[in-house]
Amino acid sequence: MSGELRSPKVEVKGLKVFFGKDEALRGITIDIAANRIFGVIGPAGSAKTTFLRALNRMNELKRDCRREGQVLIDGEDIYLPSCDPVALRARVGMVFAMPVPLPMSVYDNVAYGPRLRSGRSAVSEAPHNAIRGPSRSAKAELDELVKTSLESAFLWDEVKDRLGGSGLKLSGGQQQRLCLARTLAMRPDLILLDEPCSGLDPISTAKIEEALVILKARCTIVLVTNNTKQAARAADETAFFLMGELIEMGPTSAIFTNPADKRTEDYVTGRFG
Amino acid sequence: MKVHKISQYAAVALLGGATLFTLAIVAFIIGFVLEKGLPQISLEFLFSKPKDMGREGGIFPAIVGTLLLSAMAIVVALPLGVGTAVYLAEYTRETRLTRAIRFGTDCLAGIPSIIFGLFGYIFFVTTLKMGWSLLAGAFTLAIMVLPTIIRTSEEAIRSVPQPWREVSLSLGATRWETVRKAVLPNALPGIITGVMLSFGRSIGETAAVIFTAGSSFRLPKSAFDSVRTMAVHFYILAREGISSEKAYGTAAVLVIAVLAVNILTYGLMQRFIARRAR
Repeated sequence: MSGELRSPKVEVKGLKVFFGKDEALRGITIDIAANRIFGVIGPAGSAKTTFLRALNRMNELKRDCRREGQVLIDGEDIYLPSCDPVALRARVGMVFAMPVPLPMSVYDNVAYGPRLRSGRSAVSEAPHNAIRGPSRSAKAELDELVKTSLESAFLWDEVKDRLGGSGLKLSGGQQQRLCLARTLAMRPDLILLDEPCSGLDPISTAKIEEALVILKARCTIVLVTNNTKQAARAADETAFFLMGELIEMGPTSAIFTNPADKRTEDYVTGRFG
Repeated sequence: MKVHKISQYAAVALLGGATLFTLAIVAFIIGFVLEKGLPQISLEFLFSKPKDMGREGGIFPAIVGTLLLSAMAIVVALPLGVGTAVYLAEYTRETRLTRAIRFGTDCLAGIPSIIFGLFGYIFFVTTLKMGWSLLAGAFTLAIMVLPTIIRTSEEAIRSVPQPWREVSLSLGATRWETVRKAVLPNALPGIITGVMLSFGRSIGETAAVIFTAGSSFRLPKSAFDSVRTMAVHFYILAREGISSEKAYGTAAVLVIAVLAVNILTYGLMQRFIARRAR
């Protein structure tokens, strides 16, 4: 283990999440190493999504949500009062289970996040810029960012001629890759994916998985999936969740070929779930 | 014939009949007013001042007064109404307080317009010393249409799909940025509908403005001048028995204006829907 000098990207310590009186997440402790795809599997209702949404503080948008325990990203406790959830979400990307393009053009979808950022800095740093509008070079920069983001999501070739068309007019698989591109445009170093391929055809799924494998060179990816085969294909490490508890985690090959826990074995071999 | 078939035909006949009856009433009223009033309408009628208390001449100042008053009312009510709707829909959770606010708005919507007129007279005209004026009338109308704008805007905002908000927030937008960029643009058709309906209602309102905007014939030179709306003009002409021809002429212009606003609203809605589907 001498090679593992770097501290983990994400450290989750005794994380519990409650919705009202329901304890959805029951004390999870996990380290997620940088530049890996970390798979989370488990049957429906095992609080995989709640776990994911705890990593960018999306749970707290729901009413009656309470949390115990710590989540550290790059060694920083994201639940300290000094941590701004808005800034946190800008650097932790998230892709949802259902493809949700915003009702605007393909280009505007990808540019949504970067524009928020530039809009804010224009206002706070140079008020006169906000009136004159973005300069030509800023526009070219944004064009380039949109292009590279779409390329990284393997969507550029399909949409380069209709960037001005509505994002809602794309097919389901294209929409989900658009959502991935939109997240990538924020240049996140941690990406959370919540069953990103649950409604997609095998070809779109393959494209997204391909994109993820390339992306892990520059970011850390947490991939929640209902599809155990997807975890087996794409994840470096896999955690098995059941009823809000972490049953087992380890290298993906170990989880799938030699699970320590009987319940893990039953799940990955398809005996339940 | 089987019983369920008979009842089926009976239901279609009854429901269809009810629809037809409603349409017939609308057509009759509009037809009646237009038949009596259209012959009175000419360019001169539209663009000249009334003479001899309205027995002769036109209704130009009333048209200007009506449009100014309604537009000013919307200018006042729009930010207040949409602001309240955004607050209720986006910034509060369903509590006893929000239910009380909503109940209050509904009560406000149910108050007869003459009461608004009375309130406007006492508060704006007398207490705030605005006198009979565009300003006092506009504020009074604004309060009157506020519930419509709040409720239609709130409905429109709530109908924006929740995932769009989550996506926006997950991309690092603040709540306010999310409201501005992801919610309001998509709630716009609904908000505009409420605004246009309110505008139409303001155009036709009589009781709330007669005590607050007054009934001056003259073209207003400032917001503190009194104006006479078409509805008030019609009311005075008919009530005082000044000229039933001119009264019908005014009524016809009023009806056409309200119809035009409604048709415009409908057209705008269709365009918005078409654009969103593209």
